[in-house]
Amino acid sequence: MSLDIVRAGAGGSVCTPAWRRALTGALHFVLALLGVAIVVQALIVVEARPQDLVTGIHGMADLIWRAVPPDFSRLPSTLWPTLQTLDIALFGTLVGIVIALPLALLAAANMTPSRYAYYAARAVIGFSRAVPDLVWALLFVTAVGLGPFPGGLALGVHSVGMLGRLFAETIEQMDMAPIQALELTGARRIQVFSHGIVPTVLPTLLGISLYRLDENIRSSLVLGFVGAGGIGFQLLTAMNLFQYQEVSLLLIIIFVIVLSAERISAALRERLA
Amino acid sequence: MLRVCGLSLRYPNGKLALTDFSLTVEAGELVTILGGNGSGKTTLLRCITRTVKPKAGEIWLGDTNLCALEGEKLRRARLALAMIWQHASLVRRRSVLANVASGTLGRHFGLRTMLGGLPPAELHAARGHLAEVGLADLAEQRAGTLSGGQAQRVAIARALAQRPRVLLADEPVASLDPEAAEEIMRLLQRLARSEGIAVLCVLHQVDLAYAYADRVIGIRNGRGVFDLPCSQVSREAVHRLYVHEAAAA
Repeated sequence: MSLDIVRAGAGGSVCTPAWRRALTGALHFVLALLGVAIVVQALIVVEARPQDLVTGIHGMADLIWRAVPPDFSRLPSTLWPTLQTLDIALFGTLVGIVIALPLALLAAANMTPSRYAYYAARAVIGFSRAVPDLVWALLFVTAVGLGPFPGGLALGVHSVGMLGRLFAETIEQMDMAPIQALELTGARRIQVFSHGIVPTVLPTLLGISLYRLDENIRSSLVLGFVGAGGIGFQLLTAMNLFQYQEVSLLLIIIFVIVLSAERISAALRERLA
Repeated sequence: MLRVCGLSLRYPNGKLALTDFSLTVEAGELVTILGGNGSGKTTLLRCITRTVKPKAGEIWLGDTNLCALEGEKLRRARLALAMIWQHASLVRRRSVLANVASGTLGRHFGLRTMLGGLPPAELHAARGHLAEVGLADLAEQRAGTLSGGQAQRVAIARALAQRPRVLLADEPVASLDPEAAEEIMRLLQRLARSEGIAVLCVLHQVDLAYAYADRVIGIRNGRGVFDLPCSQVSREAVHRLYVHEAAAA
């Protein structure tokens, strides 16, 4: 019985009508054509001209040649912008945490005092993430002028999106049994919060914040390009002044900052776990 | 010490969870409640702690009726009522001592305890309660590192820190190995005898009930079936609690 079915099944594919095979073949051809068309339109839209890269390669080589050796005598003058870049990120992260914490309590289903507060907090968190940090920076520049301050504010407001969402998720996933146990001992709400909720979620929240600090350091470098100051701004200036040996020094510093921020943040998070 | 009279509760879906249920637990007495799954044991304890509000009946804790109280008055009256569960429900990231001392928060309300600090006056007593459950040397350890039996003993120490007159226990040994279970039951018995606490304990292990209880209450479909001194409870009566209704008829 089962053998018959197998034979019928095997025979079925061999005996497909010719028109049907032709149709599948045509369909595959059309799909392949469509795939090629998508790739080609992408090449056209980005104006990809590989021959330009080939003919222009000596220009790149020239630039790199002029960038070595890095001008280490400029090192002292990079210290202040480096500190500025790191501090913009630190300030932004702190602002983000301060705004995100209360929002996360409203946006956590198990803590929120009302449905309306829950949706409002979720909307604020979503909006601050949807607007890119560069746009926030431009907004704050119009308010407080150019400099590191609008950059820090932009990072802070943009960070609320990620911090708020992850904080809220952490609070929602918390084990509620110890909380209910504390409530039943007669502790007041605020005591339950500080003795039960805070110690339970604090390490995770700190870990998330450290991760965000690492991301904000990288964002802070980019924000420097649009006038927030710091090492990004110095890089832009050196580029505009054709001081390529300083550019290479700054790139080395950025490399060191990004890599060590990542390592330190990861190591600290590991110790928290 | 604890007196429950004519307690009735209806679930939102219309089913009666408790029907005219009454019991008393005197100071120094260990009373266990036996009953099958869904017989209303846990609901009864939740009623007594006023986590849910009963439809009718009275819950007397000493000479206050918990059912007549709300809000702050209820919170104050309930301080004399401590509870432990199947799982220890400790704050795993805090030290054992901090967990025990947090049982006193209901008596201490100030800036320090609002900000997560422990009442310093209670730390010595908290160590005493830890010694009482035999874990004095683990005071500084994180609660998350304890074994199930140790964690349950810390939960009992936290309940003691509350200075209760009544201790409710909802299947306190259900997730423990037999040896740890015996240890917890011995501890509950000792607390009843030496501290004069009224202990009301929901159990699934019939043998433990026979071994440690002063009195056994049988509950079935939300009704009290028997309420007898341990020596007068027959095995058949207990067995009938767990037989499905259709099978019994």
